[in-house]
Amino acid sequence: MPIDLLSPSGVTLALLPAVLLSTWSLVVLLVVAWRHGTEADSRLAGWLSVVGVIGAAAATLWLWRSGAESAGQPHMVYLDPYRFVSELLILFIAGATCLLSLRFLGKQRLLAPEYYVLVLFATIGMQLMVASSDFILLFIGLEVMSISVYVLAGFDRFRRSSAEAALKYFLVGAFASAFLLYGIALVYGATGQTNYVLIGAQFAGSDTSLLARMGLALLLVGFGFKAAAVPFHMWAPDVYDGAPTPIAGFMATGVKTAAFVALVRVLADAFPAFTGLWQPIIAVLAVASMLVGNVVALAQGSLKRMLAYSSIAHAGYLLVGVWTATDLGRAAVLLYLIAYSITSLAAFGIITAVERVGSRTVMLEDVEGFFRVRPWGALSMGVCLLSLLGFPGTFGFIGKWYLMSAAIDRNQLLLAVVMGLGSLLSLGYYLPVVMAMTMKPERTPDAHRQVLFSRAAKAIVAVAVIANLLFGVWPRKVVDLARSAAAHMSAQVAERPSGDR
Amino acid sequence: MRAFLDSIGYAHWILSVLLLLPMAGVALVLLAPARWARWLTLVVAIAEFVLALGLWWAFDPDNGGMQFAATLTWLPELGISYRVGLDGLSLFMILLATAMMPLLVWGSWFAIDQKVRGYYALLLALKTGMIGVFISLDLFLFYCFWELLLIPMYFLIGTWGSSNRLYAATKFVVYTFAGSILMLVAIITMVTIVARGTGETSFAYDHLVRHRDLLAPYAPWLFSAFALAFAVKVPIFPFHTWLPDAHVEAPTAGSVDLAVILLKMGTYGFLRFAIPFFPAFALSRPVAAVFVALAVIGIVYAALVSMVQPDLKKLIAYSSVSHLGFVMLGIWGGTVASVQGAIIVMIAHGISTGALFFLVGMLYERRHTRLLADYGGLARVAPKLATAFVITAFASIGLPGLNGFIGEFLVLLGSFGRFPVAVGIATSAVVFSAAYLLVAVQRVFFNPITHPENQDLKDATPRELAVLVPLVVAMVWMGLYPQPILRRTEAAARRYVETVRPYLPAAPTVGEAR
Repeated sequence: MPIDLLSPSGVTLALLPAVLLSTWSLVVLLVVAWRHGTEADSRLAGWLSVVGVIGAAAATLWLWRSGAESAGQPHMVYLDPYRFVSELLILFIAGATCLLSLRFLGKQRLLAPEYYVLVLFATIGMQLMVASSDFILLFIGLEVMSISVYVLAGFDRFRRSSAEAALKYFLVGAFASAFLLYGIALVYGATGQTNYVLIGAQFAGSDTSLLARMGLALLLVGFGFKAAAVPFHMWAPDVYDGAPTPIAGFMATGVKTAAFVALVRVLADAFPAFTGLWQPIIAVLAVASMLVGNVVALAQGSLKRMLAYSSIAHAGYLLVGVWTATDLGRAAVLLYLIAYSITSLAAFGIITAVERVGSRTVMLEDVEGFFRVRPWGALSMGVCLLSLLGFPGTFGFIGKWYLMSAAIDRNQLLLAVVMGLGSLLSLGYYLPVVMAMTMKPERTPDAHRQVLFSRAAKAIVAVAVIANLLFGVWPRKVVDLARSAAAHMSAQVAERPSGDR
Repeated sequence: MRAFLDSIGYAHWILSVLLLLPMAGVALVLLAPARWARWLTLVVAIAEFVLALGLWWAFDPDNGGMQFAATLTWLPELGISYRVGLDGLSLFMILLATAMMPLLVWGSWFAIDQKVRGYYALLLALKTGMIGVFISLDLFLFYCFWELLLIPMYFLIGTWGSSNRLYAATKFVVYTFAGSILMLVAIITMVTIVARGTGETSFAYDHLVRHRDLLAPYAPWLFSAFALAFAVKVPIFPFHTWLPDAHVEAPTAGSVDLAVILLKMGTYGFLRFAIPFFPAFALSRPVAAVFVALAVIGIVYAALVSMVQPDLKKLIAYSSVSHLGFVMLGIWGGTVASVQGAIIVMIAHGISTGALFFLVGMLYERRHTRLLADYGGLARVAPKLATAFVITAFASIGLPGLNGFIGEFLVLLGSFGRFPVAVGIATSAVVFSAAYLLVAVQRVFFNPITHPENQDLKDATPRELAVLVPLVVAMVWMGLYPQPILRRTEAAARRYVETVRPYLPAAPTVGEAR
């Protein structure tokens, strides 16, 4: 089904999932304007949000299945499997976050149903980020996402650390946005374009101007912040630790997915001519993230901080895939994003369930003896940690193996070896959690009395664990999906007329 | 027998069934009530062993290639398949692993009284991993099984081990994982290189061995990555420090599995993968010198360390390092005799060291101590245990007529032409091993009874005899009549030697060797 992206109705159709979700989130906002106060109201808003997310996912699937493709000139929005897959992933993350929050908000007395509306707004921003093929739309998406997440990070407004998290994230994030915007402006100055593809076409013929190179560097800084890659990572641990736990999971997965997909797009379409310039930068960021993230995670006692640093390390692994600038690498990034997001969400979900009323952090000692009280919860956590570690039999291993293959395919053994060493280091902090859960006795007899697994949270964790084991053993379908998405993406690049417009 | 096996299509399904049966057992044990766990495990273990026993007859001793092969596509676009097969080398590892299984269940019958379901489920999961490692003919599959083994072992040591178990479990996993993570990079690199040369992406073992010449320029790095993974597992000196800890802290069944199977995975890896992939580099003089030197250091050093151990289990653990040194020596010896000897040592060490660990476990159940000093004079109160221990100790020392002798003898004989000095030193270690084991036997079983607790120690129960008698019979049988085993391993050893011979530097004559 060809969609004419030059007509307003065409653009609306192409962005149908985001449009639907925006409309729905306004409906939810109206509902919560009248009903906010009791826990039941909050749950209602949560379920309404889940309904909206499912609707948006259905729209995405419909667009994908109907074979939507853009007719004529490249325009603001991509219509290809890479977008659809990442958009579905983001919607899954959003839905899962809502479901994980249902009981949590009541338990921690955070009864303001606007929470869910903000999650939806952030999701809309992410959808725009992964769909955009234009810097303007990218920036709008980024800001919609960021501003919603700033508020969410500080949602626990009676706690200082949450307020600190929000302020820190806001200040750093504003800087990052400024960098990004400045980069966009410089690139615009060099080319007179904001569309990735047209920018790429302009650079293809000409030599690379200083303006454009500075613009690219600033863009990388902006993306580095959003993706929490070293050395732009300093905000992440404090923010993850201070934010409500489901939001930490949302940030670690959703924000990261949106940032990485956008980064892959920008580098592949707008800056293929600059590969020699950005590849070394990405490589340095990747190595630094893998090493710093993993080493510092070793020293963490709080599980949320540990996962925050581990998410920095995972950003490093993903950057290895970005570095390759090949189909294989882009497929690997998508595959790893799926594996990482599903797993990380479940891990944060379990931590959400374990968290005690009022304490808001979960230390390593707090999960001691967890297996005896909650065997399934502990087993699920174990599977998630093994998957994050990249152990064979889990989805995480398939993802990591694929990233390594992509790096080695480009003769980049160094990155692959550092990735291996990173995994080895990560053993040092994932294993103690497993050990604490299974091999140590509880601190106090009623240590796990406050564990609260809602049915929805159980379902999300179960889905994640089953997906992990299933795709770990039988990854063919999802690998094919990632491969064909990446192949489709580069086929589009090849089809384009170069240079002239 | 063979006709019967053929008639039921044994060769086509046996390996996959051996692999899946313990997995099914895991599910069964977890779902059934806890009091059924050990019975269910026993049934599965015996079924597994009976099924595996057919291999003994169905195996064609004249065929040095892979038998019972089965292939299923898994990820065809990426060149990954489920490929399994078995030759004279892996045959005995499989038989050993499956034969040990019922004994392990009997051995743990009363010793494990808490978290019973988890224990037996892990024991079965471990078995799947072991069998998977020895039959995988696809490197992706191999790596998966290789790593998967860590998890059950980690929990077995960490949950049912003795006082310092958390440390030992962590050390075990960290060492092994550290060794093998680079192997993953090496495997992917190898496949990428071969894919570029041949245009076919494949993790199949045969494919990679056939095109190993493409790998030659990168052999130093790739071989090192493989060798590190296997060296940690063997373990070769100086990577052995995890072993005594793991052995000492593990529950009896864990120690036995470690000794019987897990350590052999390292030497198996050298024989199957590391050397056949990179023969020119692996067998070149400097590399061979390093490995032979480490093997000999391991033999002598571990024997010396054993002599001063106050802890019986630690003593046996170090003796493992010493024995595995012989295997390494035989692998690099590069003659049919030495390689066959290496395989025999692997089998013999499995049986006798497994039996020693069982015996130590039985003593521990009675007295809750492993210190030599706490025993003494047990021969008077527990003659059956003492007899079994003495026979096993003699087998481990390498007394002619018992199983330890043939393998070590063949290794020394076969390697002498190439490494006379090393063989000379290694031979001396036989004396040390006699020293430490005989001293241990004397202090535990023969000195006067100094501790009153030992006065009324129970002798072996029928259940324990059910564990020990098969092992002792196997030791004697292997020692007196090793022909069936030699015959079944010969073709595999010969094939290995033929693969590597073109790459062997000319053997120095004895006179030049200094």
